[in-house]
Amino acid sequence: MDQRQIEELLPFYALDALTEEERELVESYLAEHPEARAQIEEMSGAASSLPYSALPVEPPRRAKEALMARVAADAEARARASKHASRQPSRRVMRFENIFQAFSMGVATVAIVWAVILNTQLAQLRNEVSLLGDALIAQSNSLEQINAKLTQTTPAGAVTISLKGTDVQPDAYGQLIADPNSQSAVLVIAGLGQLEPGKIYQVWLIDGGGPKSAGILTVDANGQGLLILSSELAIGEFNSLGISIEPDGGSEQPTGDIVVLSDL
Amino acid sequence: MTRDKNVTGVSIRIKNESSALRVTSEQVSDEILASQVARGNGAALETLYYRHASTVLAVSLKVIGDQAAAEDVLQETFWRVWRSASTYQPQRGSFTGWLFRIARNLAIDEYRRRNVRPPQMTVTDDADSILDQVADPDMDVAEQAQSVFKNRQVRDALASLPRMQRQVIEMAYFYGMTRQEIAEATGEALGTIHTRARLGLQKLREELERVEFEG
Repeated sequence: MDQRQIEELLPFYALDALTEEERELVESYLAEHPEARAQIEEMSGAASSLPYSALPVEPPRRAKEALMARVAADAEARARASKHASRQPSRRVMRFENIFQAFSMGVATVAIVWAVILNTQLAQLRNEVSLLGDALIAQSNSLEQINAKLTQTTPAGAVTISLKGTDVQPDAYGQLIADPNSQSAVLVIAGLGQLEPGKIYQVWLIDGGGPKSAGILTVDANGQGLLILSSELAIGEFNSLGISIEPDGGSEQPTGDIVVLSDL
Repeated sequence: MTRDKNVTGVSIRIKNESSALRVTSEQVSDEILASQVARGNGAALETLYYRHASTVLAVSLKVIGDQAAAEDVLQETFWRVWRSASTYQPQRGSFTGWLFRIARNLAIDEYRRRNVRPPQMTVTDDADSILDQVADPDMDVAEQAQSVFKNRQVRDALASLPRMQRQVIEMAYFYGMTRQEIAEATGEALGTIHTRARLGLQKLREELERVEFEG
């Protein structure tokens, strides 16, 4: 297939309507012709709007209930499997467990089904708390303290700013949630790499006068972190936000690699 | 629980015992929520469901044309998000692009499966209570309003395309038809189909830019 023929496939690549063989041809072509990627991005942008051309249909309540019951049962099963795997039973205990294994599994199955039916709402509420709870652990702060700060820092005028990693850590991404007139904001980051011992991530708010430290960002084992920023100036006064790798304890000015840098 | 929702703004306040959590979760991006789902967080999945279920159901219904089957696709789509969120890579595209691709592919599979089988009688499930069939009152009103607004923008943009260009785009996207299948179905030359798809996407992009569409 010559170049012209492959370029004819580009619209159908954007529409995800190629055969497997044609798709592979296009992907090889794109790898060798970066200039064609701009065309694909434009066409894919248009194609990605197409789901919205279908008139939205409000799903019935039963659809979500069935899904969440299935999810809750799966979460329970995963938690049980994880707990079971973490145990190191002795041979004697294992023999005991073998005797009652079938009975226990039967009882557990009935109990789980019953619990799912009765506790779907409770499980959803627990999960909702864990949504922030996981991030809060990284900060070693109490849930109450953070909730109070979040309430203060999410007023009606809050805006959400997307943050992107630099070439040093291109997988990093996150958001800054802030009222531009406020002196505090919530920073949520994911995709950051693990640091060698003695290094930390430090957040900087940057204006015409240069970078000002906005705090140390603790990142969990999954590369996620959350930081409540506070500043002497309103957040809207700053031009950009950066995150750099610094020696343990932080620096007065950035000295290491900058891993996130985005305009505010 | 009382709600005070601003359908045009970023912030949505819901006053209940977990208001701070709810407000924050609604401001977190889809991509961050997807990373939470990958860690087994059911609440993050539920928030994504509230945001996008109506569009997923709409796409499925448009492809399959059957409400019950479309609801099955809706559930299966979010189940796959739950099970496969760890495979989603934000740097390769938006979460909605990934989500809608899952839904569209499942719907097309179902559409094809139905079209190779003999037609079947529709069975009404009398066991469904009236409550089971009503719309979900917990769906996010603000997101619903945004979906309707986006729908109007994209429909208007598509309507501005010449009919034959629109037809090629819809046959390819919603029914997964290859360019050869479209040429055969329309009786047009393959080159004509190529031109219509390219010009149609170009015109669609221009129209969406003109109305400042945000996908």
